[in-house]
Amino acid sequence: MAAERTAVIGVGQTKYAAARRDVSMAGLLREAAYRALEMAGKTWSDIDAVIIGKAPDFFEGVMMPEVYLAEALGAVGKPIMRVHTAGSVGGSTGCVAASMVQSRIHRCVLTIGWEKQSESNAMWALSLPQPFATSVNAGAGGYFSPIIRRYMMMTGAPELIGCMVAHKDRRQALLNPYAHLHQHDLTFEQVVDSPMLWDPIRYSETCPSSDGACAMVLVDEAGGDQHPGPVAWVHGTAMRSESNSYGGRNMVSPAASEQCADDVFAQAGIVDRRAEIDAVEMYVPFSWYEPMWLESLGFAAVGEGWRMVESGATELDGGDLPVNCSGGVLSSNPIGASGMIRFAEAALQVMGAAGEHQVDGARRAVGHAYGGGAQYFAMWIVGSDKL
Amino acid sequence: MSPEVLQAPLVLEYPFTRSTGPVIGAFLTGLRDGVICGIRRADGTVLCPPQEYDPLTAEPLTELVEVGQAGEVLTWAWNGDPRPMQPFDRPFAWALIRLDGADTSMLHAVFAPSAAEMATGMRVRAVWRTEREGHIADIAGFEPVPPGGEE
Repeated sequence: MAAERTAVIGVGQTKYAAARRDVSMAGLLREAAYRALEMAGKTWSDIDAVIIGKAPDFFEGVMMPEVYLAEALGAVGKPIMRVHTAGSVGGSTGCVAASMVQSRIHRCVLTIGWEKQSESNAMWALSLPQPFATSVNAGAGGYFSPIIRRYMMMTGAPELIGCMVAHKDRRQALLNPYAHLHQHDLTFEQVVDSPMLWDPIRYSETCPSSDGACAMVLVDEAGGDQHPGPVAWVHGTAMRSESNSYGGRNMVSPAASEQCADDVFAQAGIVDRRAEIDAVEMYVPFSWYEPMWLESLGFAAVGEGWRMVESGATELDGGDLPVNCSGGVLSSNPIGASGMIRFAEAALQVMGAAGEHQVDGARRAVGHAYGGGAQYFAMWIVGSDKL
Repeated sequence: MSPEVLQAPLVLEYPFTRSTGPVIGAFLTGLRDGVICGIRRADGTVLCPPQEYDPLTAEPLTELVEVGQAGEVLTWAWNGDPRPMQPFDRPFAWALIRLDGADTSMLHAVFAPSAAEMATGMRVRAVWRTEREGHIADIAGFEPVPPGGEE
């Protein structure tokens, strides 16, 4: 039996900011959830189940927040389920929410991801000493910088490719009213001259620390057909994972990343990935991950990803494969929401509802997230038309 | 003889903060000022402690109301052997207390001389700390109101 066709009919986001001290955690989620319901033309009573995702509990120090959030999310008397796959969780949560409809368990699902980074310190939360295990002790930047260096060595990428990505994403963020960073006068030279944090990652090549939530409403085929507004049809979802401690793994392009991409593109019937996809929202918390993921996801051959960046192919303005038109994770990073923002922004593109950062005529878009030590992967492909 | 091994403990700490929002924030601010707030639901009933969203309909709640500082014990459990972090250093009761003007109860401590002095339905009133900071412990606990002891 074929899976139920599933559509996104509502997307809601908060304005991403360093600190939303005016709202409780529940209040933050409500803002995004309410906006998604409003776009979907639904009320709380229309929702059959709530699927939520966030990064580790240590990030805010609220253990099992899903328990306390059930009332605020209208989940009393309904199923609520939390997904947890580190930084990729927003994407995985979208995949799980879609599966609830695809499997015909539910007809209308609210899904939401969030982080209130202002209430703690994610870098130190990631660096907690653990018994019988190696501590990261340097947050994510220190973990990923040697992997980036490896990519640069392998491909001969010029030193400033990362700065080009960062400057592009920060400029594109100016077109997205929800983006956290709106650096109107940021020049390429300023990106290059920003302090080196974890060689080769400069300050301006790393993501901010944001408070925010992102929500979506997903419905079955009948719900999608009846919806008067724009719809994004889910063409495929995939998740893969692998251990981060296996010495033989390819850390630049993990096998799980390549398998995840192969799976989702096959589901969507896509052969020429670069030609057939109109917009990509990929998880790029550190600038260099754009060329690295372009290659790992099969948009470019090995060693060609940085050339796509250099040629401007991934720019909203004139590129053939615009990447992170929303400004991406480099411009807004409420960690548990960041993956869902990628999925939601992909949906907005094929709905034609992305506003000033809309890719003209986008018909098919990719949402992508990764997490942990580049060991969890979640992707989806959405389209304007049914598959 | 085994060699001496250098040891140096390192304890990392980092802070958590909490944004309380307009409803819980108002409740906590009220406590600092010696006032107990509840919140009115669409059907007119009052939740105390207040909640931001209706527990049944999920609608946002905004109408804060002051409730009484005395109320009724709905149920209780005697704690004969208090631990160091608990609200009282002598035996006391944990109780669900429905304050006057509220329709729901909150958990707090009742300073009764013995379990024999506790009863479901008894009247109790808040005992405030003199130094208050906007925390549920600004109410030190509740004390029994003797019959005829209310104004």
